[in-house]
Formats: sequence, C-alpha cells, structure tokens
Amino acid sequence: MITQLLLLALAAQDPCAPVDTAASPDREAATLYRRAGDAERIAGFRGTATVAYRKAAALDPADAASRQALRALCAEGASADAQDAFTEGQRRMSAGDLKGAAESFAKARRSGDRSAALLEGVCRYRLGEDAAAEAALEEAEGAPEHQELSRFYLGLLALRAGRSAQAASLFDASATNQGLAAMAATLSRMAQRDGPLVIGFEARVGADSNVSLASQAGGTGSASGGMMGGGSMGGSGAFMNGDGLYDLALSALWRPLGPSGPYLRGIGSVRRYLQQNGYDLAVGEAAAGWQWARAGHGVLGEYAFGDQRFGSSPYLLAHRLLGSGWVTTGDWTWSTLYFARLEDYATAYQPFSGTLQRAEVKAAWTFLPQAWAALRYGFTHDAAHAGVASYDEHGPRAELHAVFTPTFRAGLEAGLAWRQYAAYDSTLALKRADTTLDGTLLLEWDVGTAWTIRAALEGREVRSNAPSASYSKLVPTVGIAWTKGL
Amino acid sequence: MNPSGILLVASLILTAGGPGADEHLLAGAHAFREARYAEALVEFRVAQELGAPESGDYAGATLVKLERPLEAIEAFGGLGGPGRDALTDYYRAVAAYDARLYLAADRLLAMVGDRSGPKIADQAARLRSRIGSVLAVPPVPAAIDWYLAQCAEQRGLKRPILSRAYCQEAAEQALRRPDHYRLSEAQAGAVGTLP
Repeated sequence: MITQLLLLALAAQDPCAPVDTAASPDREAATLYRRAGDAERIAGFRGTATVAYRKAAALDPADAASRQALRALCAEGASADAQDAFTEGQRRMSAGDLKGAAESFAKARRSGDRSAALLEGVCRYRLGEDAAAEAALEEAEGAPEHQELSRFYLGLLALRAGRSAQAASLFDASATNQGLAAMAATLSRMAQRDGPLVIGFEARVGADSNVSLASQAGGTGSASGGMMGGGSMGGSGAFMNGDGLYDLALSALWRPLGPSGPYLRGIGSVRRYLQQNGYDLAVGEAAAGWQWARAGHGVLGEYAFGDQRFGSSPYLLAHRLLGSGWVTTGDWTWSTLYFARLEDYATAYQPFSGTLQRAEVKAAWTFLPQAWAALRYGFTHDAAHAGVASYDEHGPRAELHAVFTPTFRAGLEAGLAWRQYAAYDSTLALKRADTTLDGTLLLEWDVGTAWTIRAALEGREVRSNAPSASYSKLVPTVGIAWTKGL
Repeated sequence: MNPSGILLVASLILTAGGPGADEHLLAGAHAFREARYAEALVEFRVAQELGAPESGDYAGATLVKLERPLEAIEAFGGLGGPGRDALTDYYRAVAAYDARLYLAADRLLAMVGDRSGPKIADQAARLRSRIGSVLAVPPVPAAIDWYLAQCAEQRGLKRPILSRAYCQEAAEQALRRPDHYRLSEAQAGAVGTLP
C-alpha cells in the first residue's frame, strides 16, 4: 500500500510521465489548476506546479500552456531529480538512516540546493565524517537563510577538532538565531575554555560539619574501636567537629592534537581547616592518556600517579590505570569505566594498602537541548592487605544537570552505596557493613569568559552496623574558578 | 497518518463548502490523509479560487507539512486572534515556530489548550516546552535586528502579513530586554506606520 502510494505520488510530480486524459474533460477546472500551477512555478515549487499542470492537461487535452509548462519542467529534469533526492534524504533522516540521508542530500546538493548542503552537513557531522560535513556546511553557509545554523554546526566541528578559538567565533556568529542563541552562548563560553592547553585555578571557602567523621554516638571510629572506623583519625562527637575550611586547586590539561589524541594532565589541590590542621589534605596527581573520540563514540586509556599528604605527613602514593568507552545513540549516551589503583599507604596506615578496582556503567539521557539526566551503577572491590580493611561496594548514582541560561547552570547528584567488609573485625566484634547516602547540589554562574562562581552543598550520611562508624556531614562551599584555553 | 491529519480530514468532511469547491476540498483532504501534500495543496488552492472560505486554513496546514511556513502564515491570514478551531491554531503555531516567530507560536499554543483532543494537546505541550527553552533568556540585540530585517524584507516584497508578524515579534522580543532595544521601530512596523 505504501509503495503504491509512493509511486502514485512520484508519478504525480514527474513532469515527464505521460498524461492520461480524464474521463470527463472540464476546461473550467483545468484553468483553475493551470493558474495554481503557474503560481507554484513562479514561487519555485516545481513538484507542486507539476501536480497542478498534470491535472490541467488531463482535464483539458487542448490546454497547450500546461503541456508546454510540463515539457519545460521535464527538460529541467536534473532539478526534479534533485528535488526527489532531497525528499528522499528527508525521509531517510527521519527514519534514522543518516548514511543514506547524507548520500541523498549529496545528490540534491550537486544541483546547487543549499538546503540539501545544510542537511548533508548535519548528517555527516553526526556520522563523524567531519571533512565532508565541513565542505557541505561551508556551501550551505552561503545561503542567508541557512547561515546561522551552518555556522553553529561548523562551530561544533571546530570544537571537535580542537580549534576552540574558531569554534567560539562561529558560535557567537550563530547566536543571531534566537533558537540557537542560548546553546550557542553556552558552547561559545565552553570553546573559550577549551584548546590544546587548558589551565585552571579554583579557590573555595566553606565549612565542614564533621571534619573527623565522628559518629553521632559521640565517639570516632578509631577511638571507639575498629581499624576501619570510617577513616576517622580521632576527635570528639559529631557536633564538636565543625570547622571552617578553604580549598585551593590548580589544574592543567595539554592535548596537542585536540580532543582526540594523547594528553597529559596534572592537578594539585590543598584543603586547609582553620582549626583542625591535623585533617588538612594535599593532593597531587599527574596523568598521561590517550583519547580516541569520534562522533557518537570513543574510548580512553590513562595512567595516573597520585601523591596525597594528610596533615603534614605522607599519606598515600597510588598508581592508577583507567579505561573507559562511550557510545551515543540518539538522545542517549551509554558509557562504561574501569580502573585499578595500586595503593601504597604510609606506614601508619599500611594495612589499607592494596589494590582497589572499580567498574561502572552509565546511561545518560539528554531530554532537553540543555538538560540531561544520568543513572550509573558502580562496583568497587578493595583488596587491602588487612582483611578487615578490604571490602566490596556497589550502588547506583543519579545525576540531573541543566543549563538554565547561557551563564547559569545547576546540577544535582545523589548516590547510594552498600559496602560489605571482607573479614570479621575482632575489635568491633562484628563483620562490618555500611550503607552510604550522599548527594551534591552544585550551582554555577559564569561571570566572564573565564571566571565562574560556584556554590556547592555536599552531604553524606553513613549508617553502619558498627555504631561508632555511622556519621553524617554537610559541606557547604562557595568559590571562584578561572579556566582558560590557550 | 498522524492524529492531526485525521482530525483535519474529519473537520473537512464536516465543513466542506459550496458546490464545486466541495469536491476539491475533499480531494485535498484525501491527498492530505495519504501524505500527498503537493496534490493536497493544489486541490485546496483550486477550492480557494472557487471561493471556499475555509480552504485558506487547509492550504495553510498543508503548507506547514510542505515546510513552507511563510506561505502558510499568509494562507492562514496571519497569526493574530484565535483561529477557526484548535487544530487550525496548532498548525498556525507550527508555522509561526518554523518561521522563528516564537512568541506568536507560544500565544497560539496557549489557545489550543483544552479545546483540542489529547493527542494535539500533547503535541502542543511538547512544542511549548521547546519554545520555553528558546525563550528562557532575553534575546540578544542581533536577534531583534534579524526580526526587523525580516520585517523590512517582507515589506519590500509586498507581503504585509509577514512584515507585520516579524515586526510584532521584534516588538515583543524587545520588551523582554531591559533596554527595550529598537522597540519603537518595531512597534511602528507592527502597526504598519513605516514606509
């Protein structure tokens, strides 16, 4: 049925097909059809004009004007073919056949159709055929009605190729189209913070309601028993453990070949407490990796070395190998991640040393142009030297992110994790099991091309079968970050 | 066939015009139902010539399907006030949206509301949501410049319905900016006092 209708429709718009004379000629109606055909032809709509002329010629065998118009349209057959190819491209694009659609649009584009060039460019961009996409979009850019959308997609191509300055300028140019303005402004700012070398600095101040992870029961893990007392290092009750804090962080990322290729990155950060200096933390990490990214899919491999100091003493040296991959299908992105970290703790914490492995799967759904939600599930296996420090953990984590304006965005994350320790803890007189609920609310305002004000509220609630290991904490912070792509 | 197509055909059968025009309206409706939009448009144009008053709305809906929003807006007779029914207003809103007349589209979709069936109401709600994200931020001056340029271009082409629609949009968009960028110029174009 669909095939028959398609053939019927194609014949009706084929100016070269023979015209069957109607059973009952009607010259008056033929005149009306011819007028409709003339109007459509003048307006440049060949398919509709052909339909009208064929009707007129069928109803009035003596209608020389309609037949002449059909002959002229037939002589311009290449354009008619192009129109068919364009229609076919639209059909295939709607059906999700991007490859087929790109080929149909390419055929239509050969007759100079810049709408076809635009759509071919969009299809090829989504297929990851960047060079072909760029050529098609540059051709479409010549048509005033397609200028902004072409520049927007050219910007995306430039961003993907690591040409961030060019991307920013293309996004700015496309913002004339109000339908693109919000997205273009966001992407422009993102492009200005991207490049072969990206450096960043962040300073935050805030408070931590429970620095030593003290339980509400009044004791800390280490004080009240158990080597794995929630990682606690001493202190008093939960309500006595609040302290002000500040964080400073520096980061750098170097990708000489752009987003797809090798990279080096480094980060250094310190957290200082105003009174409880024994809990200060300093972290340094250097990493080298390779990201292979194409449209809609990619993989990444990385080695990282980390050094942490707790208080003013050495705490942890770690080597980590990480691999991840992702695939995007429509509005969904599916990804997976695995890492293994060889942890070497300082002498005082030696029983924690061992190998920690984590695997994670994640599905992210972009439900609005600038809003997405994600759900992930992770498994962690920590094989520490001491059995009571070893554990298995698993649990889900949900994320919701939205860009509300080009300068304001927010994110909300919440996770639940169930941890089961491997061995009976004779000090606690039980085999410990914890449930952790944690969440983060993050608000970001861009106050310049490089500056962002960030406010965050982090919270955690740990319930353990060892009462001394149960605790809760809230960490509100506000800070300013500077990020620049060079 | 999509629900809006079925509703259009049903509406046509109920409201077909006088002798002569009827058969073209119905032929157009059948072609529309089978997604043969070029044929549907020709039939509706002929019915229009024969004086069927409602054929403009049907031609407008067909032009929306043919992705010719500017002509659709002209066929509908503009975007002001409520249309003949919720379905017509939905198609008018789609034409306005495709022509980047977002505020006009939003206004029309607000009128669709409870007057339509659940399918059209759902489609209208989706489109309103997309428009909401477009209108989430005030327009940049360049966007208002674009609307005014369209207004001037359509005025030069002697297409007053489109010219007024773009100036009207420019004026309403200008009101969304604290500085009311080029508001008076847009308002003058919207009421047709510009040369």
